[in-house]
Amino acid sequence: MEKLAIQLKNVHKSYYLSNDEEVPVLNGVDLDIEKGEFVALMGESGGGKTTLLNIIGCLHPLTSGEYFLDGENIGEVRDDYTLAFIRNKKMGFVFQQFNLFSRFTALKNIALPALYSGETKNTREQRATKLMKSVNIEDRANYKPTELSGGQQQRVSICRSLINDPDIILADEPTGALDSGSGIEIMKIFTDLKKRNKTIIMVTHTAEVAKYADRIIYLRDGKVVDNNYKLTSNY
Amino acid sequence: MTDANMKLEIIKMSFESLLANKTRTFLSMLGIIIGVSTVIAVFAVGQGAQKAVDDQFQGLSADSIIVFSLRGKIESSKLKTTDSKVIIENCPHISKATAVIQSTMAVSFESESGSFNVMGIENNYFEMSNVNIDEGRLITGEDVENNERVAVLGSEVIETLFLEEDEIIGQNIKINGKTIEVVGIVEETGRSMGKNSLDNAIFLPNTIAEKSILGSNAFVMIFTVADDVENIEIASEEIVAALREEHRLKDSQADDFKIMDAGAMVGAAQDAAKLMSLLLTAIAAITLLVSGIGIMNVMFVTVAERTKEIGISKAIGGKQGDILGQFLLESVILSMIGGVIGILIGNGVIYIVNGTSLTELIKLSPSFTGIIVGFGFSVLVGVFFGFYPALKASRLDPVDALRSE
Repeated sequence: MEKLAIQLKNVHKSYYLSNDEEVPVLNGVDLDIEKGEFVALMGESGGGKTTLLNIIGCLHPLTSGEYFLDGENIGEVRDDYTLAFIRNKKMGFVFQQFNLFSRFTALKNIALPALYSGETKNTREQRATKLMKSVNIEDRANYKPTELSGGQQQRVSICRSLINDPDIILADEPTGALDSGSGIEIMKIFTDLKKRNKTIIMVTHTAEVAKYADRIIYLRDGKVVDNNYKLTSNY
Repeated sequence: MTDANMKLEIIKMSFESLLANKTRTFLSMLGIIIGVSTVIAVFAVGQGAQKAVDDQFQGLSADSIIVFSLRGKIESSKLKTTDSKVIIENCPHISKATAVIQSTMAVSFESESGSFNVMGIENNYFEMSNVNIDEGRLITGEDVENNERVAVLGSEVIETLFLEEDEIIGQNIKINGKTIEVVGIVEETGRSMGKNSLDNAIFLPNTIAEKSILGSNAFVMIFTVADDVENIEIASEEIVAALREEHRLKDSQADDFKIMDAGAMVGAAQDAAKLMSLLLTAIAAITLLVSGIGIMNVMFVTVAERTKEIGISKAIGGKQGDILGQFLLESVILSMIGGVIGILIGNGVIYIVNGTSLTELIKLSPSFTGIIVGFGFSVLVGVFFGFYPALKASRLDPVDALRSE
């Protein structure tokens, strides 16, 4: 069985300005992430952390290089149907600003990815309810996001990322908008998820959050400068 | 989008987002509502006009040719009731002819009075126009020859002038101050001659009518029948030649009468109805076009507002097709509801108009085809004008969309 969840080889990503000027963001990233690993991506702002996460999450196409997901090279896949399938079934996204639909209740927000994958209403609601119980927000099922605290909203969004039982969780500064108490709660949930053998890749810039990870990958100027960064190290 | 369950959920979501913006939803529907009600009106007018034409010319066979006074120039028009004899004698392809002299006049019986279509006729009129006696007798050749002061009444005249229990035959009515005896009542026909209903008519011998009742202001018509439909054209030429000679017109002078055959009359009336329909169709088309642009505009605003949602949808596994379907559905639901409201309003307007005096001009006839076409167009407008905004939404870059606020 494939040991690596994600493998990137010499990945480049550039943006193009309107005058065709190339702005390189990633300059040859090599990265191996094992299954069940909890990895934090750190680095200076503008170093390419979020871009890298978006590439892993199939939200961005890469400019060049190879991307192996479960041993399969998907770096050149551009087909919307396949990419949407990967985002829907293989990965779950957790955002700094939660990115919940303000019009929908917590339950409906959580169930939405399962709607895209064509599950019946019963299955969707059963799964969502179970997930809400696991993070102690089952009594908030019919609340809208604006009626929830930041910590509760982030728990809703974690539930949403888990509804189709993906192997990989991608989190972009998941505690960035939370007070430290709520932040610790969220990190405990992530630690639990790791115990359930989920692969977690988390972008963060704070050491308190990064310390929950098994390994810290440090990026600078679009390159991985340390594959096993220690918080005591000095760059 | 394989699951029926999912489709239902997406339809529900579309309704929710339309309801979230009630004012905007209603305003963008307004164009569709007006457009579709116009479509409904177009069909009602078209069908009503066709029906009016049919009614008006019912009983007029294809071999009929009608000669009449020039309107507005009645005094200078020399068409006389006796011209029917001229036509019969000089036109070999005309088998029958009857002259009618007509005017609208005040008629009274005791204290009751009303304005009616008074028609001076020859005795062969009834047979030629297929009008049958209900009570009493028809006007005879002797009545015409002897200037008898007798009248046969249409059914509406009876209703206005007499009470139900009245014995009508033998009573004297007054037309233009002259006393006339009622000798018969004709069956209800439901038909009209031009704008004048035959049921609202009082028939007199044309001799007495022309001489002492209607006077020189009356309108003369001569109904003729060609011996064969094939000969309509020749027969018409014969009539023109005979009447020009009778009226002593020089070559340089124009006809002092007008001649039309049944085909031309029906055709002219249908052309008028068609023109009206065409005009309304153009209005409906323009309204629907403008409303479509309105919907497109609103959908672009909606897409812009929900850019972030689109980004989230994509990040959690929404396919381009899901997003396209979602927005397209919203615009179709929007225009479809507008269409249904338009159909209701259109038919409501038909109902109201038919309750007013406008029916004298035209009676609108609700059309099932109109409803189908109106609804079809509303859906079409929704699909056509909703497609581009929906396509744009589905093609948004997920990262850019997520970044927007």
